[in-house]
Amino acid sequence: MFNSSRRHFMQASAAATLAALTGSEARLLAGPKIEPRADSVILLWMAGGMAQTETFDPKKYTPYETGLASDKVLSTFPSIDTVVDNIKISEGLANIAKIMDRGTLIRSHRVGDLGFILHSRHQYHWHTGYAPPQSVAAPHMGAMISRTLGPRNPDLPAFIDIGQNIEIGGESDGLKAFHTAGFLGSEHSPFFITDPRDAASSTRPSEYVGATRFASRYQLYKELVEASSFQQESLRRSVNNAHRLLNSQAAKAFDLSLEPQKNFDKYNTGRFGQGCLLARRLIEQGARFVEVTSEYIPFRYWDTHENGHTRAAGMKQSIDMPVAQLIRDLEDRGLLNRTLVILASEFGRDMICEGKPGQEVKNQVDQPPVMTEPKHYGMHRHFTEAGSVLLFGGGVKRGFLYGKTADERPCRILENPVTIEDLHATIYHSLGIAADTGYEIEKRPFYVTKDGKGEAVMPLFA
Amino acid sequence: MWCLAIGLGLSLPLLAQVDFATKIHPILVTRCAPCHSGPTPQAGFSVESRTAILRSIKPFKPDESVLLRRIKAGEMPPVDEKLTPSQIASIQNWIAEGAPWTNTNPAELSDWVSPIKPRTPPLPANSASNPIDKFLTPHGDVIEDALFIRRATLDIWGLVPSAEATKQFIAAPDRERLIDSLLSDKRKYAESWISFWNDLLRNDQGVNYAGTRKSITPWLLAALENNMPFNQMAFALLNPTAPSDPDGFLTGVNWRGDINASQTPFMQAAQNSAQVFLGVNLKCASCHDSFINKYKLKQSYALAAMFSDTSDLELVRCDAKTGKHTGPEFLFPEVAEKPASNSLADRRKAAAQSFTSPENGRFARTVVNRYWQRLTGRGLVANVDDMDAKPSNPDLLDWLASDFTQHNYDLKYLIKLIMTSRSYGQPATRENLRRMTAEQFADSISEITGEWRVSQSGEKAVYAREWELKSTPLTRAMGRPIRDQVFTRREDAATTLQALELVNGDTLAIVLKRGALRLLGELPDAPQNLYDSRRMDKGSKPLDIDITGAKQLWLFVDDAGCYDPARTVAGWLDLKVDGKRVADLTTLSKTTTGTLTTDKVKHEAIVAPVGSLIMYPIEGLGFTRLTGAVGIDDGARSSDINPNVRFFVFTEKPDLERLLRVSGEPPTALPKPSRDPKVLIDQLFWEALSRKANPREVTVAMKLLAKQGGLEDLLWSLIMHPEFQYVQ
Repeated sequence: MFNSSRRHFMQASAAATLAALTGSEARLLAGPKIEPRADSVILLWMAGGMAQTETFDPKKYTPYETGLASDKVLSTFPSIDTVVDNIKISEGLANIAKIMDRGTLIRSHRVGDLGFILHSRHQYHWHTGYAPPQSVAAPHMGAMISRTLGPRNPDLPAFIDIGQNIEIGGESDGLKAFHTAGFLGSEHSPFFITDPRDAASSTRPSEYVGATRFASRYQLYKELVEASSFQQESLRRSVNNAHRLLNSQAAKAFDLSLEPQKNFDKYNTGRFGQGCLLARRLIEQGARFVEVTSEYIPFRYWDTHENGHTRAAGMKQSIDMPVAQLIRDLEDRGLLNRTLVILASEFGRDMICEGKPGQEVKNQVDQPPVMTEPKHYGMHRHFTEAGSVLLFGGGVKRGFLYGKTADERPCRILENPVTIEDLHATIYHSLGIAADTGYEIEKRPFYVTKDGKGEAVMPLFA
Repeated sequence: MWCLAIGLGLSLPLLAQVDFATKIHPILVTRCAPCHSGPTPQAGFSVESRTAILRSIKPFKPDESVLLRRIKAGEMPPVDEKLTPSQIASIQNWIAEGAPWTNTNPAELSDWVSPIKPRTPPLPANSASNPIDKFLTPHGDVIEDALFIRRATLDIWGLVPSAEATKQFIAAPDRERLIDSLLSDKRKYAESWISFWNDLLRNDQGVNYAGTRKSITPWLLAALENNMPFNQMAFALLNPTAPSDPDGFLTGVNWRGDINASQTPFMQAAQNSAQVFLGVNLKCASCHDSFINKYKLKQSYALAAMFSDTSDLELVRCDAKTGKHTGPEFLFPEVAEKPASNSLADRRKAAAQSFTSPENGRFARTVVNRYWQRLTGRGLVANVDDMDAKPSNPDLLDWLASDFTQHNYDLKYLIKLIMTSRSYGQPATRENLRRMTAEQFADSISEITGEWRVSQSGEKAVYAREWELKSTPLTRAMGRPIRDQVFTRREDAATTLQALELVNGDTLAIVLKRGALRLLGELPDAPQNLYDSRRMDKGSKPLDIDITGAKQLWLFVDDAGCYDPARTVAGWLDLKVDGKRVADLTTLSKTTTGTLTTDKVKHEAIVAPVGSLIMYPIEGLGFTRLTGAVGIDDGARSSDINPNVRFFVFTEKPDLERLLRVSGEPPTALPKPSRDPKVLIDQLFWEALSRKANPREVTVAMKLLAKQGGLEDLLWSLIMHPEFQYVQ
């Protein structure tokens, strides 16, 4: 429900008047009231398609040998025990194994069947709930949450996006299409931190200007504007907000150099790890929605094709320590209860099936039927039938396993499939937002889950 | 007529527990009305109005309501899926709440029916000279000359007027002559209005996510430069036949893979053409009969059938096939041209004829209203995409549309007619105050600082205006869209995220730093490269250049789009000066020598990581020739590295912002440099704000200039000034 006392990051501007007149302003259509279990969200995005069989849904391990048939291999790592009896995960995730008792593992996340594998399109689908093209610009989940709940701390942007360079060549435009607030308006756009190491510089006066000059420049600017007879309150306020933010206590959260070295080291597996640390610092200061991505660049990171086995090992190394530390730190600080942490990816992977079993789509990458050199080991196609998702905090069960996939290829989901709509409904439910909460755009309703039809997976909640 | 006007008459966003407009009405329309509506509803039950539906429900008593009982029994609806439990619960709760019925029929609220045919009302008899003013009889003073030339130059050229132009105009303020002169500069006019049309036509680099869509940019630029009559423009967009015709518009924006039925290329063609040229929103009616306007699913498909490969289309309602079919038909039968045959060529031609028919007054009204909005900040029909709504002045809109048609759909004529009216010259009000667009903002800053970006096509690099280049974080923050949709209005709100970019973003900071140096006469001309390998993703290329008289040798490797720059192995191969190994020369730069294998051939190499700059001082050594090759190691040829680099050689320290040789002149004359603070202040106020600085402003500006980086800060303060960013 709309709460008029909520502080908005920006107050409505004069321009909003025109927007209202021309019918282009999104209007809230509220759903039923739900008691929120979480106030903020961290989305850990495994960009590129995380192979579930090499991470959280390990199958039979087959070591490499030259001449091995690809269809004989399910997992290229042995599995390891976790602190939860009935949950085993893949080798290389020893730290996460120790915190599996803090959250829920979903092994039955089934994503869209879009007829063709295109990473940016599947990511668009996951992040907005709608498969492009759409007849209006669909907002990113972070923008929907920003618009619906507002910022928790007015000195921090409500939606912060860490780790994705959106100028990556070929698929840049696909990424730009969903890293947006769409019709909700740029006020709810993501605040981009491409590299966590640069976060501090994005939120303190530019190195081109310097702190001292920055302050005096603003002072004299105000004097200059006062000397004019033409004033614009909305511009004045926006510039003032920007300066306030850049000098705020909250903005110090962006500065990783303020983190004690010992803590920093616990996260520091590179950019993703530092992103997790940054997310924790931002949540502590009152951020609403933070996404940390392992970054999508074609054929890199979780987009494991050539040398898939060694690359997956590297990716696991990059997420294992920081994800575990993030959960521990949030818990130690009493923040885990009210923060929902989600680890997800646009689809899973399989060495044989591209798409879904029985609904295969055109292969994107040649995959040799027989492994003749180590770089073929762990080469994966894109599998939309099943992927794994982790949920922590935000009222979800602890030490809980949900959904099951077959142990034999094609490793279909055997029970409790969770679609994007239902996973989103679950996330929104945790925040107290009904799945059929919507906004009216061009006089039509546009809901937080597709057509308002997502259904929260209630067994996931404690 | 099924129309849903959510919000009309409601002041609060929150509706009753069960929102009729969003929860109940859509069910009634999609699942009941196909049978239970119209003059002869099935079984005599209609859901068309509250009165009608009371025959099958009892308010407050769901248990006694036939409608609910039959739904619960699974008898209704008899086709397709049953209603979901939550839909049934909504209906139950809605009846229990008394079945409140929002007035969903705008016709009951307004008796306005928008005419389709042209109409030429008589000009009102009064003393105003411009016909627009005869209708609007504006009272009050028009804006002063300096504001007028600023507004007019932004509107026609998308630039602020130069200081000289403003001063000359104030001395001889002939407004009509000014407008003529601005319109006569074809290039500046076209490079400004192209952004407006790109927004409408979804024309941008990279927004097609599947297949090939030919850019319509060359055609569009030429059409604007040559002031192609608007009916001809639309005709070419709707019926591209010649190879140079703009076939990208009908293609729409596509993604690889399956798409929902309402977004197929021909449905997009129907939606886009109806929106852009007729001000009709067919988006809802592409899935089902619209809840928000009078348009039906069948009409959308019939229009789409004018653009689709096959002339017969099956109607798909909300991704479910209906078994009903339609052939091609224009939205407005009274002005429709019938296709000569069912061939795609004939159907498209008939579509183009119907849209652009002089009898189709909606076509001219729509574009006239868009231009009116662009130039005055507020459409005569406020929502420019809903031309069925009542205009604030129907006679004026109709007259303007007819006049535009009679003047051969001349867009420049239309602009001039509007801009020479007193109505245009009125001071902006709170409601119609406009902000600069992202392109106007970026180009005006370039004009003031002389900092233009560079566009490269083929071997040539030229200074370019914003529209021609990829957006930057700055212009995205200022509202430049990516055009994956039709954009008919720019967002112009001042937001904190935007202000963060303006206050602290690197894009602007770099422009201002360089601009300040240029204004002080301290920005050296960028050194010209002696060698440019162009973009390379593998192998090697030879290098053989004359370096006679050079004092230094600078070798730079630029990242041209590697997926993984850190693992890209590039290098300078077998590099020699007059036969002597360059690797043996003295340098203070960090260098590594080794071997690189390109195309399976081993080379001695100075290994050069992406982004590396190496300098060799060679003054007095008498070298005349640099020979060898540049290349990328075969080992880096993997999909996850995807090397993409560009090698440059300079004989002076390169300016990394200007690696390319740029030919031609910038879009506007470069600013005059000066070291006199008073001169600079005067010049910048005239350029940025089109006026002289007042004494208080001079004092503040002098304080700014007295500080380190002062000129940059004065520039920043001026472009952040409301008088700069808004069009008064």
